[in-house]
Amino acid sequence: MDNILVLKDYKTVPDVVHEYGPTLKFGHIPLVIDNGSYQCRVGWSIYEEPHLIFKNLIARPRKDRCKKDAEPPVTPPIQIGNDIINIEAVRFQLKTQFDKNVVTHFEVQEQVCDYIFSHLGIDSDGCMPHPIVMTEAFVTPNYSRQLMSELLFECYGVPGVSYGVDSLYSMYKNEIGDTALIINCGYHSIHIIPVIQGRVIVEHARRINLGGSEMIFYLHKLLQLKYPVHVNAITMSRVEEILHEHCSIALDYQEEIRKWANPDYYEANVKRVQLPFVQTSSSSGLTAEQQKERKKEMARRLLEINARKREERLAEDEEQFSQLLAIQDMIEDGDTDEFNEAIKGFDIKSYEDLQRQITNVQMRIEKNKQRIIAAANPEENLESRASGGRMQPPSDPDALQAWLNDTRAKYRELMSRREARRARRAAMVKRRTAAAAERMRVISRLAAAGDEFGNQDSDWDAYKSISRDADSDSEADGERLVELEEALRDHEPPPATSDQHHQLHLAIEPIRAPELMFQPSMMGNLEAGLAETLEYVFKHFSPEDQLLLANNVFLTGGCSHFPGLKERLERELLEMRPFKSTHKVVMARNPSLDAWYGARDFAGSNEFENWCISKEDYYEMGGEYLKEHYASNKYFKSPAPIIDNTLAPAGDANVVKEEIVVDC
Amino acid sequence: MTGESERSYPFKIENKFIVKSGCKKRMWRSLKQILTAERALQWPNEAVLYYSINAPPTFKPTKKYSDISGLLAPYVDRHSKLFYSNAEEFATVRSLPMDITAGYLQLRGANTLVG
Repeated sequence: MDNILVLKDYKTVPDVVHEYGPTLKFGHIPLVIDNGSYQCRVGWSIYEEPHLIFKNLIARPRKDRCKKDAEPPVTPPIQIGNDIINIEAVRFQLKTQFDKNVVTHFEVQEQVCDYIFSHLGIDSDGCMPHPIVMTEAFVTPNYSRQLMSELLFECYGVPGVSYGVDSLYSMYKNEIGDTALIINCGYHSIHIIPVIQGRVIVEHARRINLGGSEMIFYLHKLLQLKYPVHVNAITMSRVEEILHEHCSIALDYQEEIRKWANPDYYEANVKRVQLPFVQTSSSSGLTAEQQKERKKEMARRLLEINARKREERLAEDEEQFSQLLAIQDMIEDGDTDEFNEAIKGFDIKSYEDLQRQITNVQMRIEKNKQRIIAAANPEENLESRASGGRMQPPSDPDALQAWLNDTRAKYRELMSRREARRARRAAMVKRRTAAAAERMRVISRLAAAGDEFGNQDSDWDAYKSISRDADSDSEADGERLVELEEALRDHEPPPATSDQHHQLHLAIEPIRAPELMFQPSMMGNLEAGLAETLEYVFKHFSPEDQLLLANNVFLTGGCSHFPGLKERLERELLEMRPFKSTHKVVMARNPSLDAWYGARDFAGSNEFENWCISKEDYYEMGGEYLKEHYASNKYFKSPAPIIDNTLAPAGDANVVKEEIVVDC
Repeated sequence: MTGESERSYPFKIENKFIVKSGCKKRMWRSLKQILTAERALQWPNEAVLYYSINAPPTFKPTKKYSDISGLLAPYVDRHSKLFYSNAEEFATVRSLPMDITAGYLQLRGANTLVG
């Protein structure tokens, strides 16, 4: 009970605009951007640490449509990266330039670049006078790189750019030699990249299309389904926090979940996460007592209003009565003229009419008087009945407990009976169910029943069992149920404090979500898991190379932060590698940031200038051009599009192109 | 400052991809479209493309886990198609409303008509 985890709900701090000193301004200092699909890390190559680390997201608020033409529509500011203080408030307006791990939405990328350069304080006119080192996804499509180069050269006028792969930078940063099997666990994908003597064996690298974002999504959905009441309190960012801080990889998943089947183990190891909640008594929720009080108050007020109305009506009637009497007096006095004048005003035709009216009014007055008297009493009636009709619990605490248990049992029994009845009735309506068959059997027996039917009272119960509507039994039960409910509500000790209602119990979930890496089938993904793909990659190498790779398995990327991942991989390697062969798993020193550090070292090296794509190269070789270096992708020049060798007329070529787009 | 350059920074030559609000937006190709277009080209044999390094499909039999608890699930509820591991869970599964069962199936990717 004591190990309740409290969510911290981390808030981001908006980035400051950094100083753009003369050393930077005139030093031609390279700028290093690790453009990851989860976070973007940016910094100058001469500093130890990145200046900016923010989530690669922008929030574009919707325009206010309600405003009229009076003023030009004010575009609300776009929030980028760490400007987004409360990410949940803008969850539906979030955009990212990434589709999986590849940049595809360059309008957003341009906005992010604006954010980066402006927060670094760059103020030079009409250009960004720094070469850029930027990371890109492993095997990025040329199309994406082309647009990125177009953006950097034509929009910002950078003097040069060099693209590299984050996991390769990370590997060289960790100085583990030039032969390794990289496992890069990212936000959208897991890459397995074999490197032998500095050469990336790209044809045998593999990518599992699953990463941190999928785990977050999975855990989010899982918890929401488990706690439908807290759907709104279980937010993406909270789940992300749970994933980051409380999840781990099981060494042996099957063994681990077997343990959880034991209730004692569950009780001892379950993680309780406290969701924030508002004390109900102080805020919106009224207690049953208060609600009852309020209802009573309302009834009293209604009664008062009615009573006042009655009195008013009574007074009115009495006045009319006295006027009518006065008119009657007139005729008795023989004052016919005056009488005729008077009855005109009262819309009375004759003396008989007058008589009738008088009796009518008299009766109304009588009735009203009686009502007023009756209205004064029922209040007492009501109260006396309320206090007397309720079930009275014994005063002795032990007996009270017993009485409570008894009442609860009765309540439950009634409930289950009602449920059963309801289920039976539901089943009866459907054809070909056991209940419907039973009903037909009873009906046919009733039809065949002889004269003795009805001799016993219980015979008539047969009709209850075949009725499709709610019968008298259920009504009686319903009344009894309400009574018991009330009694329980009044005398039961207050239920457990509401903080317990706002707790999430995490049992298997913390190991279930990261297990997706090894068993993507859990969320319907038919790809092989990490271990199976690893084995698949090994198969493509000679035994000697396999041994070299297995002895230097390098683990990097944000998702390798999970505790237990290294041990699990070692276990999996032990299983898949030949008997008595060796293997070793090396963790990156800083799985999240080593790519940036590696890229910074790269930018600081003497050869950097040679690895840069210059503006001339860009115009000469085209946007997709890439200068290869030790940490880069391989450059395969895009072949000329097929449409060029057209034999068909131009119109048809277009149609063909369309078909290709659709057929995917 | 005119309205056109209100969001512009001094270091920029021009707004390349950002369009003014109200103007026609450029449609960005999704990764899927990019890959399809890429596939349509005639690449040399040694070229390695994004789609060619996809992980292989799994060849191991997939394990069944209880949808609600995550335990190993030997049983399937024929009514809702949910997996469950014991009698207690079966009672829970039967009491779940439709939207929850549908959510579990969707999460497991089992809500499609095929398979």
